[in-house]
Amino acid sequence: MSAFCRYLSVTLCLLMLNAAQAATPVIELEIRDHLFIPEEISIPANTKVKLVVYNRDATPEEFESYELNREKVILGGNKANIFIGPLTPGVYPFFGEFNPRTAQGRVVVE
Amino acid sequence: MQFRIKRWGISLVMGMSLSAGVLADGSVVDKVYHPYVEQLEWELEWRTVQAYNAPSSVESRQATHRVGLGRAVSEFLFAEAYLIGREGSDSAFSVDAWELEALWQLSEQGEFLLDYGVLFELEKYRHEEIWEYATTLLLERELGRFSATANLGVIYEWGDDIEDEFETAAALQARYRHSPLIEPALELYLGEDTRALGPMLQGVARLGSRQALRWEAGVVWGLDATTADYTLRGVLEYEF
Repeated sequence: MSAFCRYLSVTLCLLMLNAAQAATPVIELEIRDHLFIPEEISIPANTKVKLVVYNRDATPEEFESYELNREKVILGGNKANIFIGPLTPGVYPFFGEFNPRTAQGRVVVE
Repeated sequence: MQFRIKRWGISLVMGMSLSAGVLADGSVVDKVYHPYVEQLEWELEWRTVQAYNAPSSVESRQATHRVGLGRAVSEFLFAEAYLIGREGSDSAFSVDAWELEALWQLSEQGEFLLDYGVLFELEKYRHEEIWEYATTLLLERELGRFSATANLGVIYEWGDDIEDEFETAAALQARYRHSPLIEPALELYLGEDTRALGPMLQGVARLGSRQALRWEAGVVWGLDATTADYTLRGVLEYEF
């Protein structure tokens, strides 16, 4: 089998595995006046969650968290989808890199 | 000791079922790419790869340096241009190639079982009629504090000064996210003339709002006779 066919086979298998993903719970979050609202969100342990983050400010903001392993820029007036988890119980802080003094939040996994 | 390393490395290669299909010409030790784009980001990069052989060999040292400037042109697309210089134990440093690169993020991080991206690279030698084009599939999976990354590339070389041919290459990385400043990893590179395995460290230092300095430093040892005895590699990226 040629190298190209091997790559194609592997890629198709991976795409089929991805198609079998279950529905993911959705939690909405806002950025307003350089604050995350709410600043604390709770999610269940060992569950993948989709955060829909609306940036209501006119300026961009970046959702950043080393603990969650996520960095995502959200332009002013736009929204972004951020998938987190499955996570073990604990507190996972995040902040806005454009306004780190005010834009602070945390994900509480219970 | 060297024999043990080689035997272990070859077993690992066979276990990953990539050995026969992932072969590339020349050294493929370079950098492991991650399938993510950070919107609005600019990046100034210096990258070096230095391969060392026994002093008795024809060329005991060969070094490649890249200087690049890149920019995220959209939420999911990052473009970068490089100048490439090379030097060796029997040749002086000269800038002998340029390269254009585009990284396309195909999925949101964590959305699927694997995160996907694809990398397109076009390289042209300045003083020779040699072109090289590569398409590389970038895959990443987060497992708690570990991240596993695979780069699977298909390369086409053509021009009057080179034999036209397709090649393949692979780079695999297992990384532990210990802290932003230090993340240890193990890397495996596979190509026609490359079978190399070794550790690396990487980290990022925040320099202020939207400014950071990323670094990588690693060494890989050759697992067969055609690969350099050891190869040092390093990256410095100023992100702004």
